[in-house]
Amino acid sequence: MRVSCVRKEPGGKLLRLSARVEEGRVLELRLDGDFFAHPEEAFEAAEASLAGCPVADFGIAFAEALAGSGVTLLGLSPAFVAESLLEAIAKASGEAP
Amino acid sequence: MTLRFIDSGPARAGINMGTDEAILEAVADGLSPPTLRFYSWSPPAVSIGYFQGLEAEVDTDECRRRGVDVVRRVTGGGAVFHDDELTYSLILPDDGSVVSGGPLESYVTLCAGVIEGLRELGLQASFAPINDVTVDGRKVSGNAQTRKRGCILQHGTVLLGLDVDAMFSLLKVPDEKLRGRLVADVKARVASVSALRGSKVDYPEAARAFARGFSRALGADLLPRAATGGELVRADAIAREKYDSASWTARRP
Repeated sequence: MRVSCVRKEPGGKLLRLSARVEEGRVLELRLDGDFFAHPEEAFEAAEASLAGCPVADFGIAFAEALAGSGVTLLGLSPAFVAESLLEAIAKASGEAP
Repeated sequence: MTLRFIDSGPARAGINMGTDEAILEAVADGLSPPTLRFYSWSPPAVSIGYFQGLEAEVDTDECRRRGVDVVRRVTGGGAVFHDDELTYSLILPDDGSVVSGGPLESYVTLCAGVIEGLRELGLQASFAPINDVTVDGRKVSGNAQTRKRGCILQHGTVLLGLDVDAMFSLLKVPDEKLRGRLVADVKARVASVSALRGSKVDYPEAARAFARGFSRALGADLLPRAATGGELVRADAIAREKYDSASWTARRP
């Protein structure tokens, strides 16, 4: 299913998350927003590397992918992205977020 | 420290962004010294941050109708309508000589130039994390930074005039139902230097003030120069190949 949400990290920036999630796995992921991340290309590589990641492992996998390629984030944290994914899934599943 | 100081004046969006990138390349390659550059936008333009979705942020049809350029920046941050403003870019070696510490500290260091420039215009400004400068709590300047090839690039805007209604005819809002409230909110929270001072600040006056401001804040002597022929040729090529292309502008559609 397609899931999405728009959320602002407290003290941070706006995140527009959209993803396709099937059988507990993230198949596609797009993280748009007015946050800062450099090197920008390394952030995008980390974003792309999460295709196929189990939702349950998403937070740790994303944090490790960013740290592994030396990405500096400003206005967005891996924990907030993981939380936003769960909220988007809950919203699409009709549960209260 | 000495900084090369280039006052480019007005250009279209692709050239503005291409010139910042060409200078970054030249500084990285040791062909040009650390540089402070001022410029403005003709025609007016909307720029979006590296990670923003084009269609989510910009009414591209309305931009076309009004002859407003649309460009994606190489830096993160938000969507900006560039009309009556002074834009600056700083390209420095990322070797700890000017900027040290984490990303937020480097904004504090470099935005001090904006704050000192505003002081030259009689305004008491302060840094507002993450990347803004405010006067009496109202945003007058937004700034964006990246690091590439051993260099730091920060560019930012100083609002000389402001037309919030024009801005919102070109930019989309996260929730159309809240449009009225958002427009009112921006009118309350954003202000131009001219409105705050109570008399028009034009580009030449702002350029003089911010040259002094950056010089003082960074402890740098400014050497007025033109961009090199090599930089101008490269800027034009980068504009055509990258910033004018749909594949770059819509890379996050």
